[in-house]
Amino acid sequence: MQGIEGQNSATTTAAAAGGGGLYTLPPTRFSSEDILFCIDVDPECLVEMKVTGPNGRPFTRLDTIKQGILLFIHSKLAINPDHRFAFTVLGKSVSWLRKEFSGEVDAALSAFRGLSADSSSSGQADLTQLFRIAAHEAKKSRAQNRILRVILMYCRSSVPPQHQWLATQKVFTLDVIYLHDKPGPDNCPQKVYDSLVEALELVTEYEGYIYESGQGLTRILLRHMCILLSHPQQRCVQDDVDVPKSLTKKSPTTESASVDESAPVSSQ
Amino acid sequence: MVSDRIPPLISTQLTHLLAHCPISIKVEQMWSGCMNSSLLDHFTLVIPFCLEYVRWDIIYNAIYPLAKPDVIFGPEDEHFRPYRGTIDSKNALTDWNSKDPTRLLTLVLELRDLYRDYQKKRVAEVDDERLKFEISTMLSREGIEMLMSSGLDKPEEVKFAVPLLDMDLNKMVLGSTWRHQQKIYLQVIYPVGRKYSTTPSAPRLKLVSSPELKSWFSVEESRLPAWLDGMCMAEYLPTLEEMLENQIREAVALVEVRRKFITALAPHFGRPIEADPVFCRKVSFLASSGTFAFLVHISIPLQFPKQQPVLVLQSSQHFNSHNVPIKSPIMNDYPWSPRWETSVMAERIFDFLVEECLNFKRYCNETMLQQR
Repeated sequence: MQGIEGQNSATTTAAAAGGGGLYTLPPTRFSSEDILFCIDVDPECLVEMKVTGPNGRPFTRLDTIKQGILLFIHSKLAINPDHRFAFTVLGKSVSWLRKEFSGEVDAALSAFRGLSADSSSSGQADLTQLFRIAAHEAKKSRAQNRILRVILMYCRSSVPPQHQWLATQKVFTLDVIYLHDKPGPDNCPQKVYDSLVEALELVTEYEGYIYESGQGLTRILLRHMCILLSHPQQRCVQDDVDVPKSLTKKSPTTESASVDESAPVSSQ
Repeated sequence: MVSDRIPPLISTQLTHLLAHCPISIKVEQMWSGCMNSSLLDHFTLVIPFCLEYVRWDIIYNAIYPLAKPDVIFGPEDEHFRPYRGTIDSKNALTDWNSKDPTRLLTLVLELRDLYRDYQKKRVAEVDDERLKFEISTMLSREGIEMLMSSGLDKPEEVKFAVPLLDMDLNKMVLGSTWRHQQKIYLQVIYPVGRKYSTTPSAPRLKLVSSPELKSWFSVEESRLPAWLDGMCMAEYLPTLEEMLENQIREAVALVEVRRKFITALAPHFGRPIEADPVFCRKVSFLASSGTFAFLVHISIPLQFPKQQPVLVLQSSQHFNSHNVPIKSPIMNDYPWSPRWETSVMAERIFDFLVEECLNFKRYCNETMLQQR
């Protein structure tokens, strides 16, 4: 497995207590989230994942992203029913898929019905409009004592995203999920990853997380989506993320080591 | 309220009311006064009063947006005529300015005050010695609301809403973002029309709290002190308030007990995905068993540690036929003792889930197979 684990050097955030240190839960103000998904609809999102879906149909990156988002929404609402979601898509630039923030799963399902991949690649990915939309929405969220988070789901292996955003104020949090091909002579996923990290560090208000995978395994994306469930106001720096924690019997003297996650197993 | 169908001047006033009203008023329905129009210029407001609700219809006219609205009260209040006989004095409808966003709120609050006075007069007219006596002893209390309640098949009753405790409950919970003032009331219901007897029966009593309070304090769990024969409100209320005050102080302490418990779970389950830092009633973790990743949702009841936390597991990899992630049944029957140290409680829950997550994995796989 080719790791493209960059160092996500921490941007200092208001509320993050080090995950490596002792966990505390101070009685600070706590805001529900408005979460804006941005889904990359470049034709690269149609690349197939390793494992076929139900009925043996091919399962594309876009299918996996939809499943990941549904998992995320159901889980987030089970944690706290006050969180809300809206949707945009990224082709050459960003446009709305569903503008109103809603805590109903049906809103996501109806947004997905209007979601399809672009027929041809635009060769560019401009995030400026995404950041502009997010900054605007963040003001509205704040007025309702909510915080805004953008989750970008990116699929291109040769096109680093660009933007002209000045980020004079950091008013929203940015998380990124990056699905890509294995590195080769004709692509540059490492370069793309580095641009994503740079964008994240520039704009994010609270600690933002970025996860990548070139393995084509749905299970891994779903697991990353679960880590992204973590509430920005209560996060530690990404390097200190210690979840998921393995539930195995502890040995008498030491804590058990985590199970090796890269062991080849069936999809479930 | 943002809708293209509400005329802008009306929308602004209604939005201002909903955002700034000190009491929790809701809009129940909106409709158009004109048959040919889709513009919504009529709506019903549901207004809390005396621990019940009154419904008033606010009637604007989209064709004359600058005109002042009319208000229609409930059918049982046909004798409520605010502003009658006040031709020469000013009220909230005088010099109506439709461009002023605050006017509707001012109007509604003024009408509610007048309604309160109207109900007070109705109650004062009731010929019941005992009632008159009780009212006279309660008058010194601020904020009491009362209403006459009668219906075709119901006996006449007088209901009181007595605010209890001179404490600012909002300040007692650190970090709370309650928009409205939280309060606990005693609802007192007297039947009407009996002659004064030597041993008057007890009125019907019930504790009612503002709705948001229940994440921190449950009035349902409070047992009311006994109403002794021949007692009156003036004697009963201080006993009740003393009891409540103790319970409130206990509620403040219990938040910290729950907070400590959540913190004790972290060494076992890792950093929580999300935890409620204000009331400390819920926490969720992300755990795994082999390559199986799942969420652990823990909800902590107000009676913790007497009552044990409720556990639910949620898969990240198994979905039912509606694409909903599979959840375990709720678990609230595992080995538990309120006398354990907090760290032991956390350890025992961890040990329980180490076993249980294997059952859950099996349950998820079986459920998926059944769906094929």
